[in-house]
Amino acid sequence: MLNNIANFANYWWFRYLMVTELYVVEKWERVTIHAIFMILFCVFWYFNYSVLLSLTGNLFKYTPIGNILPAVPQTAGIKVT
Amino acid sequence: MGNVDDDGATFQQSYAKCSNGTTKASTPISNGHIPNQHLAESCRDEQQQPQQQKVPQDEQEEELQQLLLNKQLKFSAPAYTEIRTRSGGLNFKGVSESSYHPAKQAEANGYVSQTGSSCDKFKPSRADGVLSAEQEHYQKTSFEDVPLYTACLTYLGFYLLMILGYINQLLFVPKVATEKGREGYVALYDAFESFYSRYVYRRVRDCWNRPICSVPGDELVLKDRVTDDYGWSFRFTGTETRCLNLGSYNYLGFAAATGPCADDSENRARQDGLAYCSPRSELGNTQLHIDLERLTARYCGVEDAIVFGMGFATNALNLPSLLGPDCLVVSDEKNHASIILGLRLSGATTRVFKHNSMRDLERVLRNGICYGNPKKGGKPWNKIMILVEGIFSMEGSIVRLPEIIALKKKYKAYLYLDEAHSIGSMGPTGRGVVEYFGADPKDVDILMGTFTKSFGSAGGYIAGSKKLIDFLRTNSHAHCYAGSISPPIVQQIYTSMSIIMGEDNTDTGRQKVQQLARNTRYFRRRLAQMGVITYGHEDSPVVPMLVYLFSKIGAVIRTLTTRHIAVVGAGFPATPIMEGRIRFCLSAAHTKEQLDYALDVIDDVSENLGLKYSRKPRDPHPIEY
Repeated sequence: MLNNIANFANYWWFRYLMVTELYVVEKWERVTIHAIFMILFCVFWYFNYSVLLSLTGNLFKYTPIGNILPAVPQTAGIKVT
Repeated sequence: MGNVDDDGATFQQSYAKCSNGTTKASTPISNGHIPNQHLAESCRDEQQQPQQQKVPQDEQEEELQQLLLNKQLKFSAPAYTEIRTRSGGLNFKGVSESSYHPAKQAEANGYVSQTGSSCDKFKPSRADGVLSAEQEHYQKTSFEDVPLYTACLTYLGFYLLMILGYINQLLFVPKVATEKGREGYVALYDAFESFYSRYVYRRVRDCWNRPICSVPGDELVLKDRVTDDYGWSFRFTGTETRCLNLGSYNYLGFAAATGPCADDSENRARQDGLAYCSPRSELGNTQLHIDLERLTARYCGVEDAIVFGMGFATNALNLPSLLGPDCLVVSDEKNHASIILGLRLSGATTRVFKHNSMRDLERVLRNGICYGNPKKGGKPWNKIMILVEGIFSMEGSIVRLPEIIALKKKYKAYLYLDEAHSIGSMGPTGRGVVEYFGADPKDVDILMGTFTKSFGSAGGYIAGSKKLIDFLRTNSHAHCYAGSISPPIVQQIYTSMSIIMGEDNTDTGRQKVQQLARNTRYFRRRLAQMGVITYGHEDSPVVPMLVYLFSKIGAVIRTLTTRHIAVVGAGFPATPIMEGRIRFCLSAAHTKEQLDYALDVIDDVSENLGLKYSRKPRDPHPIEY
């Protein structure tokens, strides 16, 4: 079972390296490119989160649920009965 | 069937060299194999000192055994690593894998029993002689489009490699020789060229320029090498790998160290030496050359022929003598570098037409005639020449000769046909594309070809009318200034050509040509059934298999080497960026078992590497040989 999963992961990792040409490059270059890929991904994620989300919210008159709920001071806590 | 005349087993000769010394010479030929030189040397040493045998024979033998063992242990790891597979191991669909394996065939003289080639009837295609030339071309030729995602990935990967290359160049000093004391000089080497070969090509450099150490027959022996610094430098491991040869242009299997061709050449070398040390217009012309020219003329079915010592130079040096600055040349876009060089040397105006597109050719021709020579204010051109190849070596396609001849007659242009790959390998009796299409050789004004490929020798020829050849004899640089062809080389051409023509009173030549045609059809159809994209005409023995990505070229070549198959890859400078490919060259020396083995391995590799790009419907029936 585990072996199968490992095989599957290994195989597709190999295929991924193959299509991105990372199969032929040196180790440090591979790491660098992966780091760049990760940074790009994070930047995109942050951009989507901070800019695109509010933009689309304004565009479609959609307000996040957090803005509707009555604001509770941090120190007060919510009373549950 | 391909080795009808050279049954004498090339490999037996090369591997059993020192069987008189010890029996240990029959080590299995594999990645951990010890080459013969060591054994031969030790054998020779043994033979040289029979008197002063202070060391007992046993001890010496033991030493040799230890040497063998050490080497085997040291180099038992293959030079290339296996690829990852889906199932974690290899599983062949067919059973034929067990029946043939290059490494296991060493003891069986390197040749397998010819069980698969009992049927000798040539099976024509359904399109043969039924459809018009144009329809037949479209039915038989395939240039499948690349899937969009592969195209995107290929470009992306290429840019990635380039970026990494620039980073590399920025950060490190390349491990190459540098000139010193050259301050103030301009750079001698082209910057992009050296960048490309250092930082992109270098990563898969182990797949090219591989040294071999045997005759390139149906099998060859690769010299193993490994790199410790990612392709900057190589070191030889001292081992050899015996591989099935799918890369040499040995179309008819005449490249052999035994058989009538080799014997005749050897005798000729003993009789006439190796060189005449003079051009043919001075003291280098012999009856042998004249005979060869007559035979070539007869072979091509034209009046006369002239032979040269180098195939590339035949194009590059004869085109300038035929063309001048006021000529128009209409050249196919996939023409060989030798033609392009010849055209540049000639100074003629060159217009390129789309590969094998008759409509584009006609457009270019018509424009050329209508508008005339713009450098001379629209005056007519001195001559107009159409330049095409018989088989395009990178595309595997065949020229549309009947249509080109029709166009040439219509527009009164000359036709120069380069049959480098097609001579010997096409047509029912191996006379090239002219015979394949049933055209009249006199309709082609200049027939050019090489002896390097099908004839297993070296050199090139130009055949045509007596007038043309006489003109070339007085004007061609390759005739007047180059040394005449070496006698054993002429003899090899002469003998192989006579065999193809059936002048040795056997049908060996005919059988070879037919074997090649059947091998080609079978191999191409099996590849199409697998679902890989191949380019070109179904009768062309050059089979490019598209892999697109740069890393996949490397992976395929490396993996096939571990499976004992030697192939050639072609990447960016030779092809467009988009179209990296593996090129198989078939030979009449291959048997069905060898092809089956190769196809099973290719099937497995293309499954595991994801090369099955084709979206065409696949033939569900098994392919008949």
